[in-house]
Amino acid sequence: MKRMKRRELIFKVITYTLIFLLLFPLVVLVVWSFTKNWPWPNIIPREFGLRGIKYVFGPSSKSLKILLFSLWLSSVVTIVTLLISIPAAKALGVYDFKGRRIFKMLVLAPVIVPSVAVSMGIHVTFIRLGLANTFLGVVLVHLIPCIPYGIRILTNVFEIIGESMEMQARVLGANPVKAFLYITLPLISPGLVSAGSLIFIVSFSQYFLTFLIGGGKIITFPMLMFPYIQSGDRMMASMYSVVFIVSSLIFLVIMEKTVKTYYKAENYFYI
Amino acid sequence: MVKKLFLMLLILVLALNFAACGQGDVANVKEEDILSKDWEEILEVARGTEVNFYGWGGSQRVNNWVDTYLAGRLKEEYDITLNRVGMDIDSILNILLNEKQMNVEEGTIDIVWINGENFFTAKTNDLLFGPFTHKLPNFNKYVDKDCVEVNYDFGFPVDGYEAPYGKAQFVLVYDKTRLDKIPRNYKELLEIAKNNPGKFTYPAPPDFTGSAFVRNIIYDIVGYEQFLDMEPKKETVEKAIRPAIEYLKELKPYLWKEGKTYPATIAQLDNMFADNEVLMTMSYNPNHAVNKKKTGEFPETASTFVFDKGTIGNTHFLAIPYNAPNKAGALTVINFILSVEAQASKYDPQNWGDLPVLDNDKLNDEEREMFEKIDIGEGALPQNVLLEHRLPEMPANLIPIIEEIWMENIPVEGE
Amino acid sequence: MYKWLKPYVLLLPAMMVILGIFIFGLAMGLIQSFGYFPVVGLNKITLKYYREVLTDKTFLSSLGFSFYISLISSIMSVVIGVLLAYSIVQSESKKGIEKVIYKLPIIVPHAVAALLVYNILSQSGILARILYSFGIIGDQSEFPSLIFDKKGIGVILAYIWKAIPFTTMVVYTILSNVNDKLLEVALNLGADRRQVFWYVLLPLIMPSIFSCFIIIFAFSFGAFEVPYLLGPTSPKALPVKAYIEYNNPDLTHRPYSMVINMSLTFISVILVWLYHKSFKLISRYDG
Repeated sequence: MKRMKRRELIFKVITYTLIFLLLFPLVVLVVWSFTKNWPWPNIIPREFGLRGIKYVFGPSSKSLKILLFSLWLSSVVTIVTLLISIPAAKALGVYDFKGRRIFKMLVLAPVIVPSVAVSMGIHVTFIRLGLANTFLGVVLVHLIPCIPYGIRILTNVFEIIGESMEMQARVLGANPVKAFLYITLPLISPGLVSAGSLIFIVSFSQYFLTFLIGGGKIITFPMLMFPYIQSGDRMMASMYSVVFIVSSLIFLVIMEKTVKTYYKAENYFYI
Repeated sequence: MVKKLFLMLLILVLALNFAACGQGDVANVKEEDILSKDWEEILEVARGTEVNFYGWGGSQRVNNWVDTYLAGRLKEEYDITLNRVGMDIDSILNILLNEKQMNVEEGTIDIVWINGENFFTAKTNDLLFGPFTHKLPNFNKYVDKDCVEVNYDFGFPVDGYEAPYGKAQFVLVYDKTRLDKIPRNYKELLEIAKNNPGKFTYPAPPDFTGSAFVRNIIYDIVGYEQFLDMEPKKETVEKAIRPAIEYLKELKPYLWKEGKTYPATIAQLDNMFADNEVLMTMSYNPNHAVNKKKTGEFPETASTFVFDKGTIGNTHFLAIPYNAPNKAGALTVINFILSVEAQASKYDPQNWGDLPVLDNDKLNDEEREMFEKIDIGEGALPQNVLLEHRLPEMPANLIPIIEEIWMENIPVEGE
Repeated sequence: MYKWLKPYVLLLPAMMVILGIFIFGLAMGLIQSFGYFPVVGLNKITLKYYREVLTDKTFLSSLGFSFYISLISSIMSVVIGVLLAYSIVQSESKKGIEKVIYKLPIIVPHAVAALLVYNILSQSGILARILYSFGIIGDQSEFPSLIFDKKGIGVILAYIWKAIPFTTMVVYTILSNVNDKLLEVALNLGADRRQVFWYVLLPLIMPSIFSCFIIIFAFSFGAFEVPYLLGPTSPKALPVKAYIEYNNPDLTHRPYSMVINMSLTFISVILVWLYHKSFKLISRYDG
């Protein structure tokens, strides 16, 4: 019993040390968003200010309206990506078929290839299809960087659960739709949450492709934030980042809670 | 497997190639229409429309000036709704270039904030509408049309394809309390660097400001005249700037981190200055120090200076894309920006602090007073000092060559 | 029925996006790398750009630097990320806030991560200030160069700061959903906790680890923001080189950028493929 305690203690120490290291930079970010100046060698800023918060929440920057729009856009992207990723992940995770490995590699392509290399071709295609400068076009182009995360994470989940449960349900007389809705979906729901979170984050932080395909007609929150990051205005950059992070966090927590209440229990045993 | 992938790619490439071949040029017909109208008609067309103004969005004060003063006044005067879209010029050019490839006749951008190499690229690739400046009443009334700075942008003829917006000049920024003597030329700069090793550096070209610093050093050492009509050949440029490159090599060991590495952007250098890591920063905006003091980022004792032989100045401009959806609106907005009222508001450091482009001789006493009564703020240089120390920018096509030579010689040597 | 068709049908929507949009973009990049870019007056297909870029003496050092950064970042992220996930599971108090807050860095965009690493680790950063106030260092210059340095420490730290929680999240999802009974059985059969980890849990999370590693590696190999903002002036990471060429206002330089991008892609594909192969040898999973 004593051994157990020590063991747990060690893991507690590891957990909290790592979490501290991960969170410390964010504390600095929050401090910077209210910092007027902070010269060497002060450990705390010399002067605080409200320029950042006043501008971000002021009417002239239109930030809040754009933030809400961005959240909406990324939610649409998340849902569409998940709808596309679930069948693909099932195919890759459950079935054995010719070309499976090539498909698995192909799914990763958007992560492997630098986006500047493909951006022009995509933009030209979108212009041809009349998708440039439209909401639909931006949603479609966001799918590209998001799909690898959706498919890979869900594939790993499908690899573990396999097809046996769904098959049993089918054998017992459930039709495919029912078997999927009542057996598979609850089983993959924890994976859906983590895949969905990542997809949302990837979409929410896109700016290069949004610039190009949105053409300035579709304006998302990162497009307000990035000029300040580039110009080194640390107070504005930090303030925008804090708003960015907090709003994504709220959104993700709501999403997780919704999925969990819908599927009641927290744990679905994979083995 | 890799083979298969590549085979697929190659097939696609071929298909694409054929698709791309079929495209010819389509002339833009509507262009003449708007320019053949007289000014009153243009104003009439522009009334009640929306104008999309694209440009760099990294300064809260500039953004604020455009979003509040400019947008507000345009609404009052012309019922025009101004949409500012903060977008870096590279993305803007890429959008326009891709639209050009596909012959998109109606784009999204009405006005672009542009200058230098980017204007050169835009104009040589037919991405701009014009010439249009002769249509603007305020341009005709207040701007000196024979002035080199209006007619040439980084040595490249403007030909009426862009209207001046404001003027910038390269300045160095220091903190009075930490540096008692300011360098008046490159020799004194080396002295100061030697006395304060590790406390000076500049952003690595092709950063815009870092590149301007290197050109300023070149001007200070070998003069500027020879570059104005120099052919853009690497050997020629290399020979001309050799003494300056030698100087930068001599300076290198006394720089921050012994010159082995450089900040990647001017933003980082500004932050190093604000954090007291280095003694000087620099800017292509003469009111930079004042602006940064206003936001509280720089200490109250930050101040500005230029070299005795002068520093490089340039003009930034406004252009209209070839496929701007609202050209009449764009013309109206640009004309308003060239008014005495707008230029004076822009010059006021309370708002933005950007140098005006209007010709002093063309203003009446009342108008001149609007500029003179503006308090330029502590730590900035007065307009006349700047103008006396103003050197012309180098032709745009020499700049990438100099950046390449810098890259080959400075950061790699002596590892 | 056409049972063999089923996986292909399931894959169809995803492949429509990837093949329909993405590959077309890639193809355009590829032809530009061969110098075909008619809109700016480049009409000849040539290998000239490949020759120039690949024989440039800085190319290899840049490639080496990129590879080094990606490899170190992905290995460290995966190892620490799994450790954190396992620790959280082991030390779990039922209503732990730690299950949520560790995820925060995932949300932070890379450019912001770079800004934070700069604010903390530069010679005038928070860490240097803390050491200075304790008298451990007497001057800024005594603080080691962690930013813009040739070892790429700042770049690596920025990547692992973002990638550790990513790995943790993915792995934790699986670890926390493993049936406790399974572990009990293993323990009752005489396995100790270490054995349970190595022989029961690790094989279960291995495919996820594999996916995380490959995503982190490929991403850090091809992205420019972090090495651009925190990396040394020379050698530059390959994506930074490509980005600088891409933004060269002289558009006839575009093929150089595309050559670098295509080389990056090609090398990345080879590496991922080799990784698949070697992984298959040591594991029953093929990722």
